[in-house]
Amino acid sequence: MSVLLAAVVGGLFAIGTFLILRRDLVKVVLGVAVLTQGANVYLITMGGIEPGSFDTVPVLATHGDYVPDTADPLVQALVLTAIVISFGTTALALALTYRAYQENETMDVHQWR
Amino acid sequence: MAPDLSVITVAVALPFVAAAATPLLHRALGERTGFAGAVVALASFGLLLTQVGERGAVSFVWVPSLDVAARFYVDGWALLFALLASGIGALVFAYSRSYMHGDEHLARYYATLLAFMGSILGVALAADLVLVFLFWELTSVASFVLIGHHTDSDASRYSARMAMVVTVGGGLCLLAGLLVLAVAADPALGERTFDLSAMIASADAMEAALRERGLFVPALALFGVAAGAKSAQVPLHFWLPNAMVAPTPVSAFLHSATMVKVGIYFVGRLRPLLLSPEWTYLFATVGLLTMTVGAVLAVAATDVKQLLAYSTASHLGLMVAAFGFENAYGAEAGSFHLLSHAAFKAALFLVAGIVAHEAGTRHIDSLSGLWRDLPVTAAIAGVTALSMAGIPPFSGFYSKELLFEAAYELAHYDGGLTWVFPVTAVIASVFTVVYSLRFLSIFLGDRPADADPVHRAPALLVAPPAVLALVTAVVSVSPGVAVDAIVQSAVDATAVGDAELHVGLPDHVSPPVVMSAISIGVGAAAYGVGDRLRAGIGAATDRDPLGANWWYDRLLNGAEAASARVSPLIHDGSLRTYVSWSVTAAAALALLGYAATVAGLPPVGRTVPPTMALVLAVAGVAAVSVMVAPSHVAEVLTLSILGFMVAIFYILASAPDLALTQLVVETLVLLIFLLVIEQLPAFYGDIPRGVLARDAAVSLFVGVTVFLTVLLAGREATAEPTAVARYYATEAVPQGGGTNVVNVILVDFRGFDTLGEIVVIAVAAISVLVLIIMRNRGETQ
Repeated sequence: MSVLLAAVVGGLFAIGTFLILRRDLVKVVLGVAVLTQGANVYLITMGGIEPGSFDTVPVLATHGDYVPDTADPLVQALVLTAIVISFGTTALALALTYRAYQENETMDVHQWR
Repeated sequence: MAPDLSVITVAVALPFVAAAATPLLHRALGERTGFAGAVVALASFGLLLTQVGERGAVSFVWVPSLDVAARFYVDGWALLFALLASGIGALVFAYSRSYMHGDEHLARYYATLLAFMGSILGVALAADLVLVFLFWELTSVASFVLIGHHTDSDASRYSARMAMVVTVGGGLCLLAGLLVLAVAADPALGERTFDLSAMIASADAMEAALRERGLFVPALALFGVAAGAKSAQVPLHFWLPNAMVAPTPVSAFLHSATMVKVGIYFVGRLRPLLLSPEWTYLFATVGLLTMTVGAVLAVAATDVKQLLAYSTASHLGLMVAAFGFENAYGAEAGSFHLLSHAAFKAALFLVAGIVAHEAGTRHIDSLSGLWRDLPVTAAIAGVTALSMAGIPPFSGFYSKELLFEAAYELAHYDGGLTWVFPVTAVIASVFTVVYSLRFLSIFLGDRPADADPVHRAPALLVAPPAVLALVTAVVSVSPGVAVDAIVQSAVDATAVGDAELHVGLPDHVSPPVVMSAISIGVGAAAYGVGDRLRAGIGAATDRDPLGANWWYDRLLNGAEAASARVSPLIHDGSLRTYVSWSVTAAAALALLGYAATVAGLPPVGRTVPPTMALVLAVAGVAAVSVMVAPSHVAEVLTLSILGFMVAIFYILASAPDLALTQLVVETLVLLIFLLVIEQLPAFYGDIPRGVLARDAAVSLFVGVTVFLTVLLAGREATAEPTAVARYYATEAVPQGGGTNVVNVILVDFRGFDTLGEIVVIAVAAISVLVLIIMRNRGETQ
């Protein structure tokens, strides 16, 4: 597996974790978003990555018998679900952030204990 | 002839059904629920009685592909135990009707007792390891509830928790041991199975497979701890005397005849499978040690029930030791004593209950001369206590004789240190005689002048122990009846090879007869100096570190104190603490897993294509910018760059659907972020240097872990597609009728998952709506 790919995924996880550990609630939400991107790319690498071609796209050309070796469709289905769910959770987290600020009048996570 | 599956299933299930129905029964019958329980127990007893003589396995397949089945195995050993449990159960239910008169929690009491009886029948008859474990733990849970019957008493709660901790802890060892067996079944039987009867059928192959993998001794040790915890073997014996806070019928049923025999039963069950020199050393040593320690402590006991509790531990030791010996006498002694001990010990507990009920005290020194007021009870106690002492011609004598024979046989052949076994057995028997006579002494002599008057016991209390005394008497007078009826078939099931059980009074002088004579003679003589003996034992054992109780308390208090110190460190209400601990632990566990299974880093594969490298590099830079951005707006915009770069990455990785979705979602997320952060102030707290360093360390650790796992677990593009990927690709058109494989998976193959996803989005949308709109409306009104 490519070192660059691994480094970028690792970097996304590290930066996401660092942001979640901040006191500013917006940064925490941003951290979750970065982690999500990292996790999605991670999942895709589990299916194997090769240079794209006509055959590797998991959309079959014909209804015929010939099925080429496509990129792993299962991880793509998983990631598609993950993208949509993460959209829902990010929107909810932002709404919660907004309400939390209205209630507490601070963005500091540490003052909410 | 094979046993009848429906009969076995009904016999096991009936008590559970009755337990569920007990609240209703109690409403209808009140205190007479005890009789209903007795009827249920008798029904199970009768059903099992029809199966006597059968031998074989029956099963009810549930999930065949996972080898999950309700398997039952019937043979003499299983039936002996199950019949004892249901038979004594019936007597205990009848006894409870009178003994538990006026108790507030009768419905709970009877329901638990019934469920307990069902679990015991389950343990006895189950042949599936998972089922065995399930029933085994159910007995512990039921025992916990019954020991803690008086919920408002501290002693009761303390003892219930102690029994729970010890026996469930042993249950965990059992689980581990059962899994070891299942693993060994793979090479031995050709498949991974939980079928215990199949394992016992090919015992040699199982033993070879266990030894080959070095799992034989660990498995033996695990089963030793499990059986020892359940059957109160030293050093895990201490919960049994504490469990005497339970109502007396519970003590008679659980803590003499059934629950504590579960360990014995399982030792007997596994004996043909695991018999070996190691087996002998483990179980004969532990058993004889327990036999001696229990007998010595019973001599020093001051409370009637406590005396019986220690005596029970001692007799359980006898049975464990008997099954430990490799020769046929061992299996004979263990099987025969299971029957005789259950009969006389349950009767003695019920007698102790009568004494406490009528004389108002259980203190041995303040009781004497009870035979005048309780003549029938005294007769029952006479027969059963002499049997407990092993005095000929009572039933306990025969089992002790067989144990002496087994120990002598081993020492005679092996010589050397093994002579310790018969000597210890004799010493333990001496003390057994002493405490048995001491128990009898409460009925002999004269009443103390200042004692309260003793009421005559109601017939309903006396009848159940009388039945048990009758059984003891029959087994004593003609042991052949019991042997022919069931004990011989129990011996066949637990012995290796042929074993013909002969019991009877000896007609010539042999070493075991001499050993018996010594123990009875010395025991009777030692009873004469009983007070000095008790004082000596009391002085010798009155040191904290010698008491297992003390160790238990220290361990538990230590654990409580440690968790009180540790818990504020790992959950203090701050998000940062939770995140730090959980991600560090997850990363550390992942690394540990890889360290344990992966030999080395794989060779680094091809680099990604240049376009993809460029996109990934930009994504990385964008992520760094999110972290260091000077304002919320800059953070959100750079996050968006990251998202769009990932979308392009999806295009390059042959995932057009993902790219489309990602583009739509990123646009929406950008809009929502911009809308929200407009309403929020920027918060820029100073980050202390120490906190920064710690957070950076945690993040780097997580990042490096992920980096390594991607390198190790990522699939090479050149690898063959996985079977499941190939399946979806080839079946998309024939089964789903669509050429876009990803879409077919989402809406067809995994349609329910997508439905769940839509529900999540809908719930999130409703929550957002509530948070933003409805809440405001509520506040303004």
